[in-house]
Amino acid sequence: MSLIEGLLGPEEPEVGCDECFAELDRYVELELAGADPDTRLPGLRAHLAGCLACREEYQSLRDLVSGDDG
Amino acid sequence: MSAAVAVTLPGVDPVMDPESRAWVAALAGDGADREAALERLHALLLRAARFELGRRRGQLAGVSAGERHDLAVQAADDAMMAVLARLADFRGLSRFSTWAYKFALLEAATKARRMAWRDRELPRPPEDWLAVAAPDGRPEAAAEHAELLAALRAAVAEVLTPHQREVLLTVVAGRVPLDVLAERRGTTRGALYKTIHDARRKLRAHLAASGLLAGEEVTRR
Repeated sequence: MSLIEGLLGPEEPEVGCDECFAELDRYVELELAGADPDTRLPGLRAHLAGCLACREEYQSLRDLVSGDDG
Repeated sequence: MSAAVAVTLPGVDPVMDPESRAWVAALAGDGADREAALERLHALLLRAARFELGRRRGQLAGVSAGERHDLAVQAADDAMMAVLARLADFRGLSRFSTWAYKFALLEAATKARRMAWRDRELPRPPEDWLAVAAPDGRPEAAAEHAELLAALRAAVAEVLTPHQREVLLTVVAGRVPLDVLAERRGTTRGALYKTIHDARRKLRAHLAASGLLAGEEVTRR
């Protein structure tokens, strides 16, 4: 993320960290199933773009679950 | 992915997959079945915690193997308490294992970030933060966006409160993890992110009013 992106954050409306955590497991499973998580859980993708901590944990969960399924 | 994703219908509870249902029944029960489930749950959470710490080997280069083991066990222990405390919240919209994993990943990531910063003072945002913050590692980026950066520098000074300015610059320009700043300030990641979110909205509104957000400068890559 560039300095400008970091300062300005995502352009789209986003959820907060708590809402992101609450839906993260569902988001990852929908994504891995190819089921369009961004329509069902709006605002979560934008939050992942703006929050490094949540993004790191999303990436870990996605990789851990896809490894289990692989 | 082999498992079906639960489908939500209006007024109808999602169908919980059999494995998740078995987890919930065993953990909400009692006796030997619950004890066995607790043991399996801890093993599942410990695996996730180790997975997360393994991804952070570089960040934890100065941490001994024994400390990393203790960190993983502590993360699994804390995650297990969180899972059991929030078991009633599990609605079956994902598999139980995926739901449980996220608690262990959160605990392990947060502990690792804090451990990596345990002996370090947090950098105070320097006066000339634009000069020291490398824009995405590309020296040419500052020149490409000179006008926007100059406007951002002015907006950060003019429209943000001192608290918003310090939090935003500490995290974005100082690259201090939110969890670390939250621990030092006695607050939460969510509360600090709300401060950052509000600061970003102010900056965006200010730049938009100046006609500076209509170009490709803010196009997300």
